[in-house]
Amino acid sequence: MIEAHNLTKRYAKTVAVDDLSFQVQSGQVTGFLGPNGSGKSTTMRMIMGLDRPTSGTATINGQRYANLRFPLRVVGASLDAGALHPARSARDHLEWIADSNTIPRARVDAVLAQVGLTEVSHRRADELSLGMAQRLGIAAALLGDPEVLIFDEPINGLDPEGILWVRHLLRSLAREGRTILVSSHLMTEMALTADHLVVIGRGKLLATGSVAEFIERTSGHHVHVVSPDASALVSLLEQKGATVIHADDGALDVTGMDAENVGIITASAGFTLYELTTTQASLEDAFLELTRDHTEFRVGNDVKVPS
Amino acid sequence: MTTATAHPTVAAATTPAWRRVFYATLESEWRKLRSVKSTMWTVAFGVVSTVGFGVLLTALEVSRWDHRSVLEVTGFDPMLYSFAGLNVAQLVFGVLGVLVMTSEYSSGTIRITLAATPQRRLVLLAKVTTFSALIAVVSLLSCFVTFFICQAILAPKGAGLSIGQTGVALAVVGGAVHLVLVGMIAVGLGAAMRRTAGAVAVLFTVLLIVPGLVSLLPSPWNNDITRYLPNSAGAAMSAVVRFPNLLSPWAGFGVLALYALATLAVASLVLVRSDA
Repeated sequence: MIEAHNLTKRYAKTVAVDDLSFQVQSGQVTGFLGPNGSGKSTTMRMIMGLDRPTSGTATINGQRYANLRFPLRVVGASLDAGALHPARSARDHLEWIADSNTIPRARVDAVLAQVGLTEVSHRRADELSLGMAQRLGIAAALLGDPEVLIFDEPINGLDPEGILWVRHLLRSLAREGRTILVSSHLMTEMALTADHLVVIGRGKLLATGSVAEFIERTSGHHVHVVSPDASALVSLLEQKGATVIHADDGALDVTGMDAENVGIITASAGFTLYELTTTQASLEDAFLELTRDHTEFRVGNDVKVPS
Repeated sequence: MTTATAHPTVAAATTPAWRRVFYATLESEWRKLRSVKSTMWTVAFGVVSTVGFGVLLTALEVSRWDHRSVLEVTGFDPMLYSFAGLNVAQLVFGVLGVLVMTSEYSSGTIRITLAATPQRRLVLLAKVTTFSALIAVVSLLSCFVTFFICQAILAPKGAGLSIGQTGVALAVVGGAVHLVLVGMIAVGLGAAMRRTAGAVAVLFTVLLIVPGLVSLLPSPWNNDITRYLPNSAGAAMSAVVRFPNLLSPWAGFGVLALYALATLAVASLVLVRSDA
């Protein structure tokens, strides 16, 4: 289990991580979600004992990372796929990591096979594609057969097949009872991969819970109504307790009332409807909604995603 | 698709002794060093510099033997010519020592290294130990080879030294120790500064530029300060003739070792205190 207690990282002018507390349980994939620059990587580095928190603590199975001896047997991580010496071969890269924690040499062959890099293991790192480097990073994380795994944006640079592979790998690692923390800025990817979500924005915790809960809570349904008498419909529906969130050119978006009730009420009042649809906001919409005020870099004033 | 339980698995972690952690770190650092081809090419270049420049300058001196000035004749130290290449080799090994640390920062592997071994002082110690051991072996070899070739060149003039003479064997070993200590300083600079360009600039300034500047100071300050500079302290270890502006071999060793210790102490503080 990974635990963060009031983790805070303050730099001279900015607060990268702000009083962040969360838990990562074993046996499931926990998605660590947030826009670029929201403090995900900094948090992971603090968990790994690489960056020193300004205040707060992070522990792995109750222990601080810095106190672990041969930590790779407990925690494996891939924080940056590009972190390779350009002139060193993929195999040599894994071998020096294995040596540092007295991990048997046979594991190097095992993880190379597991990530599908056996054939290119003699290649220099600067001759590997980004996708291969990403796989090599994952191989390095798996070397010590650790119970806890931490991946920072593992699908960056992967092709669709690679993305699918990572998804299956993470799910199977979780099924084996391991603790998996994986960061991403892609809500849709996390919805497919993760069981549990920790969502942050500007270093602050915005939401935590199961993926199902998250979808339930954040993605509002609304009923889309098109009618020649739209303006008259607004007052009628509002009278019956619905909320009209958007009215434009004969079309209404209604919340607080399902399509069935909208249909009954409008029919009994004798209105003509051209269209009556239930629309579910996409996960990406929900994520943007949640992080709207916590995004480091904004495009224009209002980020709208075409549905 | 294979799963993560692909055998063989790794035994659950107990708490290993510090000694085991250190040995593992040494092994890991040694693998890092030798798995990059350019390391070995650079080491080879250092060896060629040591032998080549020593032999070349000794041969040149012999070729103009009867045309030397009185000052050159009275101030002649056969070791000074034999080990002229050390001035080049110390720069070569120095750059390599800097890279031992800075290449980890430029490539980003430092985060893997420190995640694998969170005991950061141990990591620095292991890096210094493996690199110094490598430099010690090749330097001892190249210093003895250089010594014997050069003395053979000087023998016809009756100016060659014998390894059995007082202080001569110590001077040959001193040449190798000089290179090892400069290498240690370089590793320390790399760890303290993290950037290749900056650390190499400081190293070259200290070894090449500062001696020139100090020599411009009014006497006796120039000589008084010069003998305590890393370059001169190192040269003192391999000198046989006692020049007034050089320390004794052991004092030279002490001074250069102090530079190395001080640099590594700063490096250790920086490494432990800063974010990776």
